[in-house]
Amino acid sequence: MISVSNLSKKLGEVQALDSLTFDAYDGQITGLLGPNGAGKTTCLRTIFGLLKPDQGTTSINEIDVTKQPLAAKQELGLFPDPFGIYERLTPREYICYFAELSGLERSAAITATDKVIIDLQLADIADRRCKGFSQGQRMKTALAQAIVHQPKNIILDEPTRGLDVMSTRVLRDMLGKLKSEGHCILFSSHVMQEVASLCDRVVVMADGKAVAIGSPQELCDQTNQTSLEEAFISLIGTDEGIAA
Amino acid sequence: MNSRFTSLLRKELLDAVRDKRSVMAGLYYAFFTPVLLAVVLTAVINKATNPEDIEITITNGIEASNLVNYLSDRGISQGDDPDKLKNIELVISTDFSEQLNRAEPAEVTLIADQSEDSLRTAIARIKRALRSYSSEMVSLRLISRGINPNIINPVKVHIQDQATAVSKGGQIMGVMTMLMILSVFVAGMNLAIDTSAGERERNSLALLLSHPVSVLQLVMSKTVAVSIFGMLGLILTIIVSKFVYPFVPWQELGFSVDISGSFILGALLAGFSVAIFAASMQLFVSFMAKSFKEAQTYISFVMFVPIAMSYAATLDFAVEELRWAPVSGQLQALIDLAKGKEIPLLQLAVSCLSTLIISLALIFGMERLLKSEKIVFGL
Repeated sequence: MISVSNLSKKLGEVQALDSLTFDAYDGQITGLLGPNGAGKTTCLRTIFGLLKPDQGTTSINEIDVTKQPLAAKQELGLFPDPFGIYERLTPREYICYFAELSGLERSAAITATDKVIIDLQLADIADRRCKGFSQGQRMKTALAQAIVHQPKNIILDEPTRGLDVMSTRVLRDMLGKLKSEGHCILFSSHVMQEVASLCDRVVVMADGKAVAIGSPQELCDQTNQTSLEEAFISLIGTDEGIAA
Repeated sequence: MNSRFTSLLRKELLDAVRDKRSVMAGLYYAFFTPVLLAVVLTAVINKATNPEDIEITITNGIEASNLVNYLSDRGISQGDDPDKLKNIELVISTDFSEQLNRAEPAEVTLIADQSEDSLRTAIARIKRALRSYSSEMVSLRLISRGINPNIINPVKVHIQDQATAVSKGGQIMGVMTMLMILSVFVAGMNLAIDTSAGERERNSLALLLSHPVSVLQLVMSKTVAVSIFGMLGLILTIIVSKFVYPFVPWQELGFSVDISGSFILGALLAGFSVAIFAASMQLFVSFMAKSFKEAQTYISFVMFVPIAMSYAATLDFAVEELRWAPVSGQLQALIDLAKGKEIPLLQLAVSCLSTLIISLALIFGMERLLKSEKIVFGL
């Protein structure tokens, strides 16, 4: 479970986060939905302790990120944007490396890497160097890196950006599977359909605040709209920065 | 804790070994620098020990056939070949022989551009030959008047050179040692940039820092990886030097240059502290850069300091304080070792220690940099 409470952060002159509060529960997919510049990435970076909040707290499974950063990070898996692939390593080496960094012993990391390679059908490219990989292959490698150590909480930053239909389906199926296994999944997106089809709960963000929280249906009911897109526009008051 | 450090280091080295640019940077320097130095020195020595004949224009030589013969015995003669002819003219005055007979100063005029570098040694040789001709004439005149020519040499200077065959080569060993120590900086440089600014450019830095790894361990693993590359560069340079330098005809200069076992051991020990310093300095600078190119620019500025310090150590007028300073202290101790002198152990220890202290400060500085959101995200 990820808890964000009263989080504020100023980046230069911009108030990137403004008293942001929400929870993401285990066994659910929570979507952080907002236009470009709403503060989604800043929020995720703060959850990882890469940015220090000016005020407020974030906790992962009740562990305060600012007070015990290493213990909190231990409970997290990150699918970043951009992916941060090492082009001279093979996916197997890459995944295993991050598994070890997440705290697995070398032998356990090798076993976990083998497993995730099978789960994500990566076997055909697992021992090729990442240089020249397609966006879909990179996505799979990054996703494998995020889940190899079986973290209770998985955070994805704009996961479907630049993916084709097949890759998006792989990702979606994997998220569904992780959800059914009881993981807490939090992802940021500005793509309406993706959020509508995947998320159990949606946190609508604008100007660093959570303007509404609820299931897609609840958000529609709350705003008297039939589609999430309409609901979203009426919630944030503009359609700027939205991809349909 | 320790297994994470091993994982970090293993990945750094694997990534580095697969980076052709990083590997080549070290190899090129280690291989070509000693070879190039050996080729240049061989050419210089051959030129110094076999002086070539100087062809000049001698005007009115008929007046002083004795002098012309004397010069020609010393390789200075009237030339015909316009390609070899140097732009130097020796004009013998028309009444040269008459002046000589009357025991008046007989005039010769040397016409040449003294600012021309290529003529400098030739002019000096001609002047030297004219002077010795003149003093021979003095001796002959004194003898003919029944006077002991020693009267014009009131002081006779004897020089006893205490330099040994090894120590005479010291200055050249100084340059060689400097090139070896610099190899530590060159061999790790590309890797240092790749693993810091490159890591940021490829967007993997933030991902790395999102994992439960202590920043200090991360910095240490990168420093160790770059130091290992630096040391490999040094070892390779020493090996190539050991095989290449014996081909230079040192015996022509009356000394020997020997890369002995104790010198190699000393170079590796001193090189170790310099390698850690080079790694931490280069990483520190490149972590502050936003891109690979920016880091290259910064490093080329910073590299000037150790190069200047090690160059200063090889000069005669190097101040005594440089013996205690980082990098130049180790270098001077190594030069002493190469000259066969006793090694100044205290100075070596102090300079190694100060080098390591600066490296530690840089490592902790990097830890602070990587904890700063401004640096990590380039805000």
